[in-house]
Amino acid sequence: MSKIEEIASAVERGKAKLVPGLVEEALDEGADPVEILNKGMIDAMSVVGEKFKNNEIFVPEMLVAARAMKKGVEVLKPSLGGSSDISIGKAVIGTVQGDLHDIGKNLVCLMIESAGFEVQDLGVDVPAEKFVESAADPDVKIVGVSALLTTTMPAMKATVEALNQAPNRENFKVMVGGAPITQEFADEIGADAYTPDAATAASVAKAFVVG
Amino acid sequence: MLSPRENLLETIHGGHPDRFVNQYEYMSLIMGSPYSMRNPYPKKGGPNVVNAWGVTLSYPDNVPGGFPVHTPDKIVIKDIEEWQKYLKVPNVVYNAEEWEPFIAMAEKVDRTQQFAAFFVAPGLFEQCHYLLEIQNCLMSFYTNPDEMHELIDCLTEWELAYAAEVCKYLKPDALFHHDDWGSQQSTFISPDMFREFYKPAYEKVYGYYKAHGVELIVHHSDSYAATLVPDMIDMGIDIWQGVMTSNNIPELIRQYGGKISFMGGIDSASVDHPGWTEEEVRREVRRACDECGKLYFIPNASQGLPMSTFPGVYESLTREIDAYSKEVFK
Repeated sequence: MSKIEEIASAVERGKAKLVPGLVEEALDEGADPVEILNKGMIDAMSVVGEKFKNNEIFVPEMLVAARAMKKGVEVLKPSLGGSSDISIGKAVIGTVQGDLHDIGKNLVCLMIESAGFEVQDLGVDVPAEKFVESAADPDVKIVGVSALLTTTMPAMKATVEALNQAPNRENFKVMVGGAPITQEFADEIGADAYTPDAATAASVAKAFVVG
Repeated sequence: MLSPRENLLETIHGGHPDRFVNQYEYMSLIMGSPYSMRNPYPKKGGPNVVNAWGVTLSYPDNVPGGFPVHTPDKIVIKDIEEWQKYLKVPNVVYNAEEWEPFIAMAEKVDRTQQFAAFFVAPGLFEQCHYLLEIQNCLMSFYTNPDEMHELIDCLTEWELAYAAEVCKYLKPDALFHHDDWGSQQSTFISPDMFREFYKPAYEKVYGYYKAHGVELIVHHSDSYAATLVPDMIDMGIDIWQGVMTSNNIPELIRQYGGKISFMGGIDSASVDHPGWTEEEVRREVRRACDECGKLYFIPNASQGLPMSTFPGVYESLTREIDAYSKEVFK
């Protein structure tokens, strides 16, 4: 097993204590830092996402894997240069106004970050204006909007409508998700994509940006 | 015509019900105790409150229930390694006089018609993430399994102490116990992890109630949890309330009917939303009843109380279930 494969395996298994050492060893052996990031970490997290989607692993396993990747990235960062060099774009993600649910939104943040995005987590109970204000940043490629209640679906509709009026609308894609949300609802309110889980959200976001 | 209680028993024991069990008609909920009087819960649309465990709860006007607030300053157990330092377990032992109004409530229930169901929420898993914050909690199963076992043991001892007082004073013959174990697509933790951390705890708690006069354990989890059904049976659960359509309920009934019954089959989100219609309710009731059949199934919206978020939905479901019963049970 190559060092990069070892890193990938350790990330998948959520071994936060092992990953930094393995990354250091790989760098010492002359491995390309970008390859360590892409093959050792981002690809590993995409495997984690697939397993999560298929109910082979669960939220705790996903959280520990993301934490392990984060530890590895800390060691890798000085060799990669600035974050803008390694980011494939910026994503702003939040739960709509009136809704306090955060776990689904947090998992989407983790997976999108693990796919190579720079993530701005807007938190919960986020007014439409805040989404629009954050989306005004020209680096923003993805706006993720979450709602977990039938009572907050109207707030999602209002948020997406406000985003659709933004003068820089062609710069970003609007993605929606959450327990009561469906593809039909996403189409009805004018979102660009609905995804049923965090792993799919990450792969769809990546496809929007890198094709 | 069978009483709601008799009809429920016929349904869950594979007998001859004379109609669908209509949602919560078989139970009369007892929702108070001297402990709960000291465990504040926010009013809908009112200010946040801090409950008896130190958890801050918020209940905005437009949501179905209270919700823990987990900004860093509000997390009760800030470090799982020192959980004992942060956790103050509330008292459950109060004198007979304090129990009197609740005893009166329990005695009012005509047990020939309904079960007197004592209500407990949150459950052990929910209490863990209320106290720790959900991501911290879920990570701690990996990072600090020993401390998680200790914390769950402590909460289990508290539930057992509470159960002892409840059974002594109220003598309920049913328990309605909440603990959400998943999202609509999956359980939050793996079945193996559930078996390691929570199953033994619930075997103790539900075992205690069953050994002290409770005939019916109704557990609420409005989620996917099909993979936990064999464990639910071992834990003594008679009815899983809140079962969502994502669980393939007809298959669960085929596999486990007779050992456990399923109450739900109508996802609240599909009928209890801003633009709800009677027609939608009618369609959902008929679909659920047609798919799941007359035995081991109780048609009900997945929400964990006899109510709906949008006015009129619960009553509409009740009317439709009655109407469909008349067609199906001729």
